[in-house]
Amino acid sequence: MNTPKRLPLTCPSCETPLKVSELFCHTCGTKVCGEYDLPPLARLSEKEQQFAIDFIKSSGSLKEMARSMGLSYPTVRNILDELIEKLQHLSPSNP
Amino acid sequence: MNTHTKPSRPAFLANPFYTIAGWKALAWGLLGMAVATAGSMAAHLHYHGLMHYGSAPNDAWWCYTAEHLVVWLVPAAIFYVAGLLLSSSRIRLIDVLGTTAFSQIPFAVMNLFYLPEQVQTFIALTPEELAGKISQESYWLPVVGWLTPSLLFLAVVLCWLAVALKTSCNLRGWRLLLGYAAGIIGGDMACRLIISLMYK
Repeated sequence: MNTPKRLPLTCPSCETPLKVSELFCHTCGTKVCGEYDLPPLARLSEKEQQFAIDFIKSSGSLKEMARSMGLSYPTVRNILDELIEKLQHLSPSNP
Repeated sequence: MNTHTKPSRPAFLANPFYTIAGWKALAWGLLGMAVATAGSMAAHLHYHGLMHYGSAPNDAWWCYTAEHLVVWLVPAAIFYVAGLLLSSSRIRLIDVLGTTAFSQIPFAVMNLFYLPEQVQTFIALTPEELAGKISQESYWLPVVGWLTPSLLFLAVVLCWLAVALKTSCNLRGWRLLLGYAAGIIGGDMACRLIISLMYK
């Protein structure tokens, strides 16, 4: 059975956030080596990423999201606020 | 894919505002308030404050209605101000009003405990009369025993008010505690002050 692979975000041994050390072109086989941080959105949990996707898909309408998720408006707004706070911590250079 | 799913019934009872807020909560809350007011009138139970109940000299229908409105609006106003001052979220007045009104639905059940005539006679006693009856355990013990479970519904109201503030204003930790204390303790005091004006 082909189950989709999940990108691990933290080290399974010590739980430190993982970094990217190698990128690979599957067409020509070129490899780029180095030490790169994952972009902030990729460092969110799967649940948070899905919330961000749903938010964009609903054109940023919290009312529509609340309706489709079966949650109250303030609950959805609170989830968004927590996400904003997390993203601010993940990208400290941004205001 | 929605990863935030609807809660089960026990989870709904723990925090109904996870799924209901705004106009919907307000509509249910006002319906509950109408039933609670009718219960208060039938039981001659006056709300002196958010947590103080008993008899009162004014038995007019508007007095019962005004008491319930004050007990709803005063804590809601304090919660809203607390939210504006303590929360970084964009809070909506309708969510604060709706969740606070919904939180008070259990008052409708609590008032039913005051319907028996023996209870109504008991709550109408003055402190002096009550002191005279203190040795007659067979008089007050059954009434106190009957009223004790009603405290459970008051406890539910107080718990729901906490989650109402938490959800509608997105407060946590000491901010939630401060806002809640202001709304409940300050709200009760303010309600008693305002409602006492209706008895003059």
